[in-house]
Amino acid sequence: MTGPVLRAGAWTAVAGLSGVAVVVGGCGAAFPAAATMLLPVCFALLAAAAAFTLDEPASAVVDVTPTGPARRTTIRAVALLAPLAAGALVLLAAALRGLALPWPAAGLALAGNVLLGFAAACVGRTRTGEPGAAAGTAVVLVLMTPSLVPQVARWVRTFPAPGAGGPSPDHVWWTVLAVCAVAIAISAGGRRLPRWRARGAIPRLPGAVRP
Amino acid sequence: MTTTLTFGPPATALGRATFTALAIRETRRFVLNPVFLFAVAFIVFALRAGPDAGTTEIDTTNPYPAIFLGGFGMMATYWLTRSMRASEPVVGVTPVTRPARTAALCVVALVPFACGCLALLRFVQLIPVSSPLYGPFSPSARVAVLIGQIVIPTLGGPLLGVALGRWVRFPGAAFVLFLLMYGWVSLVTILSMSHPDSTLVAVLRLFAPFAFFTLHSDAGGVTAWRGSPWFFLGWQLALCAIAVLVALLRGAEGRTRSRIIRGLAIAGAAAVIMLALAAVGGFTHAVTT
Repeated sequence: MTGPVLRAGAWTAVAGLSGVAVVVGGCGAAFPAAATMLLPVCFALLAAAAAFTLDEPASAVVDVTPTGPARRTTIRAVALLAPLAAGALVLLAAALRGLALPWPAAGLALAGNVLLGFAAACVGRTRTGEPGAAAGTAVVLVLMTPSLVPQVARWVRTFPAPGAGGPSPDHVWWTVLAVCAVAIAISAGGRRLPRWRARGAIPRLPGAVRP
Repeated sequence: MTTTLTFGPPATALGRATFTALAIRETRRFVLNPVFLFAVAFIVFALRAGPDAGTTEIDTTNPYPAIFLGGFGMMATYWLTRSMRASEPVVGVTPVTRPARTAALCVVALVPFACGCLALLRFVQLIPVSSPLYGPFSPSARVAVLIGQIVIPTLGGPLLGVALGRWVRFPGAAFVLFLLMYGWVSLVTILSMSHPDSTLVAVLRLFAPFAFFTLHSDAGGVTAWRGSPWFFLGWQLALCAIAVLVALLRGAEGRTRSRIIRGLAIAGAAAVIMLALAAVGGFTHAVTT
């Protein structure tokens, strides 16, 4: 069962987004002055890649098979290794280039970004078969808010840039990790069938006899 | 028995009426898009509050319309364009051609463009063009900087979204492009800080749909970078034309297709010339006042 479930994943999207993230993160490592701008973009792309891991074009068939959502989600979670490996590669390249980042905090931010994308996909998967695009966009917009609106960065920081003022991002990411774990557990455990399925049911005519 | 034949006008009028109806319908869908509504709400909030008391140069406050109306507008028009994909087998057999439907979608960009114009008026009200926050630019160049940073991105972003929606199948393409453009502008701006007089870095900085022209100097004052804001406007408008033509090219056939390709060649050449003029025009080196 593991093989077919993994084979059906949106690997092109996951690998493509992870690849783009590596390029952006690589530019951040190559130009240390721009690292604090480019590494958050890289992490947001990795979060978006994680959001595509649960996409299931054949959800109308898959959702009614005996394999439960918890098992399918667990198998698909293997795909998270792609964005995590890409992020680790970028951090390794940045370390080799001599960037002075707080590495444990950067690792935590990477894990938090990826898990946030996956949690958004899990929640979205209870509604639709392909939550990747919507979940990815939502996660990217949320994660980029402190970079796009500097006023927000005074209150919330999502990347541990050295020397930056404001609150530590570690608190944010520990909270996000806890909330994501709960959201994933609820979504994968007791998920409902997508709404459109209920609306699409064919009503029986009055007086019709079941064959 | 006689038959009166009429050429041209009735069909043209009918086509125009259909196009207008389509454009109104798409505009209504766009205006109700939650992402666009959020963008407008944020811009209203940001411009109502005005710049911070400690603002040292305009670039700390003026990218919001480009990000929210342009960038978010691009995502909204991308979804708007893609939303018709599922019904393409049905819509495709209607008498309206795909380029006509694409043109109706492009009309939608006038809404964020109008919002961008209003944002510009409010910005000038908050920070008059005579303010020293604009740096050493002449008054006309200051206006060009503002139009290029506030108004044109609000037109170009949504047009780019339509082109992307017509050609790219990946559903996350809009936010990926948004992030790539944000990353590129950030990278070249930071490079400009360390190499303010480099021609290559100036070209790279201007090789984007949005560019910064000033920087607050650590020693006090405002530094204006190389480049001509007026020619940069020309480059941006050429990019807008390319986006429209690329969007229209999808599904175009026969003479329309060859006309669009010819138009693309002209717009591409104009873009290259404008970029070159923008890079060599204006100040020849960074100037601080």
